[in-house]
Amino acid sequence: MKEAYTPTSDFAEEISRHPSGEGINKCVQCGICTASCMVATYENKYRPRKLIQKILLGAREEVLKSELPWLCMTCRMCEERCQEDVSIAEIFHAVREIAAKEGHIPNAFKKTVETVLKDGWLLKDSYSDMTMDDREELGLNPELDWNNAFPKKLKEVYYQEGTK
Amino acid sequence: MKEYVLYTGCTTPVRLPSYEASVKAVLEKLGISIVEMADANCCGAQYVESTSHKAFLAMSGRILAIAEKMGLDILAICGACSGSLKTVKHELDHDEELRKEVNDLLKEEGLEYTGKIQVKHLLQIFNEDIGYDAIKSAVIRPYHGVRLAAHYGCHVTRPYEIVQVDDPQNPTIIDHIIELAGGTAVDYTGKTRCCGGPMLAMDEGVATKIGLDKIRNVREAKADGIVTACVFCDIQLTSVQFDESVESSERIPVLTLPQFLGKAIGIDEDSLGIEFNKISPNGIMEV
Repeated sequence: MKEAYTPTSDFAEEISRHPSGEGINKCVQCGICTASCMVATYENKYRPRKLIQKILLGAREEVLKSELPWLCMTCRMCEERCQEDVSIAEIFHAVREIAAKEGHIPNAFKKTVETVLKDGWLLKDSYSDMTMDDREELGLNPELDWNNAFPKKLKEVYYQEGTK
Repeated sequence: MKEYVLYTGCTTPVRLPSYEASVKAVLEKLGISIVEMADANCCGAQYVESTSHKAFLAMSGRILAIAEKMGLDILAICGACSGSLKTVKHELDHDEELRKEVNDLLKEEGLEYTGKIQVKHLLQIFNEDIGYDAIKSAVIRPYHGVRLAAHYGCHVTRPYEIVQVDDPQNPTIIDHIIELAGGTAVDYTGKTRCCGGPMLAMDEGVATKIGLDKIRNVREAKADGIVTACVFCDIQLTSVQFDESVESSERIPVLTLPQFLGKAIGIDEDSLGIEFNKISPNGIMEV
C-alpha cells in the first residue's frame, strides 16, 4: 500500500538510478531542508523542498535547465536534520551531472572547470610576485609545484562532447 | 614522531599562506612531522565534482595514490579538500570497479591507490594524534579574558558518516582548544551554519549576506574573535566584513586555529604570519 502514496516520475526514477540520487523517493516533503537552508534564507527563488518536489513530479527539462540546483552550497545542514535520510547535496550533484551532460552548466562552473582542467589547479593566474614574496617571508617554498598533465588527460577522457 | 604529507589544496598557498606556515610551525612544535606533496593537482571539489563524478574521483584519487606511494597519511587543512579526499577514499575503498577505472588512468605515472592510507583534517591531528593533555602542557603563554567564537566549517564536519571529525551538530574540538589556551569559548546562534563561501561563484551578494549573518551572531555573543579551521571559511568570514555595511571599528578579527594556539604555545607572531591578517588580531594577541 505504501507505494500508492509515493509520488514518483520517470525523472525521479532516473535520479534514483544515479549513484548520488538514490534517496530521492524517500522525501516526504516536510520542508525541514528549506527551513534549515541559509541560501533559502537570503534567496527567495531557492527552495530545496520545492526543487525536490519538481523532480518527484517529473519536471525534467525545467529542473535541468534551471540554475537553482547549482545554488546548493553542499553545506549539508539540511541532510543533518532530515528525518528521512535524504541528501539534497547528493541529489543535486546527480541533477548537475545529468544537466552537464546535456550542456546546461552555469558559466561560473564552466569557467572554473576549464581552468582546473587546463592548469591542474584553481589559482595559477592569481599567483603573483607579491604572494611569492609573502611566502618567502613566511619561510614557505615560493615555487608552487602543480601537475596539469593528469587533469588535461581527464578532460580528454571525461569531458569530450560537452561531458560524458 | 608521527609523519604526515600535507595536501595544501589550491587556495591556502596563494590566498592564505599564513595558514600553511602556522600549521607547520604549530604541528612541528607539538611533535608532528610534515612533508610536502610534490606534483599534486586540485582535489576537484565543487566544480569538477558537480560536472563529472568520475573525473572528480580521478583527481582526488591521484592525490590519495601519491600519498600511498610516499607511504604517508594525508593531512588536509581545507574543508573542501578534506571533504573531497575523504569522500573519494570512501567511494574507492568500497567500489572495486571505480578503483580499477581510476588506477587505469594512474598507471602510466606509476601510481596506484589500494586503500592503505588515511586522510585526516587538522582538527583530527589535534584531537587524535596530539591529544588535549599534550596541548594543555604545551601552553606556556595562556590568553586571559578573551572570548572566542569557533567556526568549524561545513565540509570539515559533515557528513559525519564519511569525515568522522567531530559531532556534526555540536562540535567541540576548536572550543576545547580555545579553553586549553586560556580563552573563553562562546556559544552563538547558528554556530554550525555555513560561512557562505561556496556561494561566491554563483551569487556574491547572497554569499555576503550569509557570511554577515554569522558575523552578526558572533557579535551578539560578544566575541572578541573568530577561530577557524578551513581556508575558505577564514577568507570568507574576513572578507564579508569589508562590505560597506560594516563599520571598520566593528570588524571582528578572524584567526586560524594554529595562529591562535601557536601564540599560546610560545611561537612568535612572525612565524604564524599574524601581520598578514587583514583584520588585526592585536586586541586578542596582546591580552
